[in-house]
Amino acid sequence: MFFRIVSDSFARKPRRKALTAAALALGMAVATATLEVALDVGDRLAREFRSLGANLLVTPATDTLPLEIGGVDYRPVDAGAYLPEGELGKLKTIFWRNNIVGFAPFLDVPVEIASPSARGNQVGGAGAHDTAREMLIGTWYSHSVDVPDGSKFVTGVSSTDPWWHVDGRWFSDGAEETLIGAGLAQRKNLRVGDTLTVRSGERAHALAITGIVSTGGREDNAILAPLKVAQDLAGHPNRYRRLLVSALTKPADAFSERDPSKMTPAEYDRWYCSPYIASISHQMQQELPGIEVRAIRQVAEGEGRILTRVGSLMWLVTFAALFAAALAVGATSATTVLERRSEIGLMKALGASRRTVSAFFIAEQLLLALVGGIAGYAIGLELARILGIGIFGMAPTVRWILFPIVLVLAGVVALLGSLMPLERASRVDPAPVLRGE
Amino acid sequence: MTPLVQVENLEKRFDAVRALHGVSFEVEAGEWIAIMGPSGSGKTTLINILGGLDHPTSGRVVVDGMEIGELSERELTRYRSDKIGFVFQQFHLVPYLTALENVMLAQYFHSITDEKEAAEALRRVGLEDRLEHLPAQLSGGEQQRVAIARALINHPKLILADEPTGNLDEENEATILKLLHELHSAGHTILVVTHSQAIGNLADRRVELEHGRLARITLPVR
Ligand SMILES: Nc1ncnc2c1ncn2[C@@H]1O[C@H](COP(=O)(O)OP(=O)(O)OP(=O)(O)O)[C@@H](O)[C@H]1O
Ligand SMILES: [Mg+2]
Repeated sequence: MFFRIVSDSFARKPRRKALTAAALALGMAVATATLEVALDVGDRLAREFRSLGANLLVTPATDTLPLEIGGVDYRPVDAGAYLPEGELGKLKTIFWRNNIVGFAPFLDVPVEIASPSARGNQVGGAGAHDTAREMLIGTWYSHSVDVPDGSKFVTGVSSTDPWWHVDGRWFSDGAEETLIGAGLAQRKNLRVGDTLTVRSGERAHALAITGIVSTGGREDNAILAPLKVAQDLAGHPNRYRRLLVSALTKPADAFSERDPSKMTPAEYDRWYCSPYIASISHQMQQELPGIEVRAIRQVAEGEGRILTRVGSLMWLVTFAALFAAALAVGATSATTVLERRSEIGLMKALGASRRTVSAFFIAEQLLLALVGGIAGYAIGLELARILGIGIFGMAPTVRWILFPIVLVLAGVVALLGSLMPLERASRVDPAPVLRGE
Repeated sequence: MTPLVQVENLEKRFDAVRALHGVSFEVEAGEWIAIMGPSGSGKTTLINILGGLDHPTSGRVVVDGMEIGELSERELTRYRSDKIGFVFQQFHLVPYLTALENVMLAQYFHSITDEKEAAEALRRVGLEDRLEHLPAQLSGGEQQRVAIARALINHPKLILADEPTGNLDEENEATILKLLHELHSAGHTILVVTHSQAIGNLADRRVELEHGRLARITLPVR
């Protein structure tokens, strides 16, 4: 009888029911999408950095000990060994070439900068610009590399560190343009649109600032410029000193750790044909003699922070969406209770207890939550796909575990939202209602 | 034998309004009482208190050995479903439930539903072929018959009817009267509020109220 009454009653006022269900569905859709994304952030963090982020560091095999302070190489430009830029295309000819997702060469040059004199000190007199030594990091943003097989491979920081945050736009690799680290920009009061003159010895470049970059790493306090500019300033055309490679690799295991020179030919083949970091490094060394390849696992703080922030934003949005849905449910159920006062009064006159009246009401709300939850989940999955593509470049994995969670959430929201109307419903006094008030 | 209903010095105030005061009377089991009086004299108020829908301000109301004024809300709910069958002037059926379901609703609140018994109750009021109709598909008289079937379904000690024919034409009034008569013959105790002399004359006794006071108890002129 209970279900008969609930289902009979459920079929009434389809417009309002649809409205409530829609509010719930919308809330649940947003919740599903954001939860999907928020949950994915953690997973994605790990996977993303392994698959897209640089995980191999290439340096010259015979190099002087780097003089690094705070991650910046302070060796003079003529000290240490360099690698030829022209050979980089060969990386796309190794057996696991398709697992080389991207790479970016780096060349650090200490430079003197002259702040734009327009701002800063106004009166200063002659030569009113102050000079300071800063680090200029030359690299590629999105550079077209000639591969020996005749094809071209476009790569650079855009593929090794896609999460670097830039206010403004990236420099173009062939232009006299630059990105300024957020810390440096603040320190020197530099802005997008300014022109920054960098000087190393006799050579100088006037670079247009196209953006402010924040990475959470050493770049925040440096000048980021096209590799060509750095090479010219350093007086080492077509040379670089460090190369970050991002390669899709298989996690290391006991087999991958073995010394290839002590393997049987069959073992060697198997090892060679598995995308271990070790075997990919080995293949790279075969193509580019004189390099040393090291595996790095850097989940830089800043990168993590950004995604974590995305994650917490998602939680916030989820909460807001649920809250809004609860409000909407509250509004519609308040109207329902008002409308059905006489019916509730009658039921109480006939001997229905508060609990029975509440149970009818709760059952209806839960039924609505079920409808809204299912619809919302379906919509949310699609939303998550779009969001995921926007944030990660691919759809998040569908988590079926979210389905029951979303249904429960929908139920909780539907009930919380109608708590006050429900309380009022259970307290309806039958006498005045029956008198027709 | 103790009377089924004892009302002693009953008083009911709504703020300044004294809807009832100094009302005392008794009803024996199986009696048919007509409660009469001009509009605003307190008839509905009296019925509501007897039915456990309202609390007396003072005085004693004992029904079937239970003192109504002392019952908690939960006990009143129980009391209503166990001891009372209500019939209202406006019928008060649940609009989205069929005739049969409306009767079963009372069963559900009382204990468990029994579709056969509910159908039998509707047959007794002559609606055996209208079981699956919604209230909107029934005439006023038919709706009131459904309400009577609903009032009877849990075998109440007391049937309380507040102007059950107030919204009906003469023909339907006659049908309802006949039904009440049958119930009375079957031994039910009935209190019916009415303006109709016809009903008043059918009852065993007439309790007449005026300005919230018991004016007189008269015997019908037959
Ligand atoms: N909830 C209430 N609040 C205030 N006054 C009330 C309330 N209920 C009833 N009254 C007053 O109590 C008096 C008796 O009302 P009651 O409804 O019992 O009259 P009645 O005899 O049933 O009248 P009618 O024949 O018009 O139905 C009236 O003066 C009415 O205004
Ligand atoms: Mg009345």
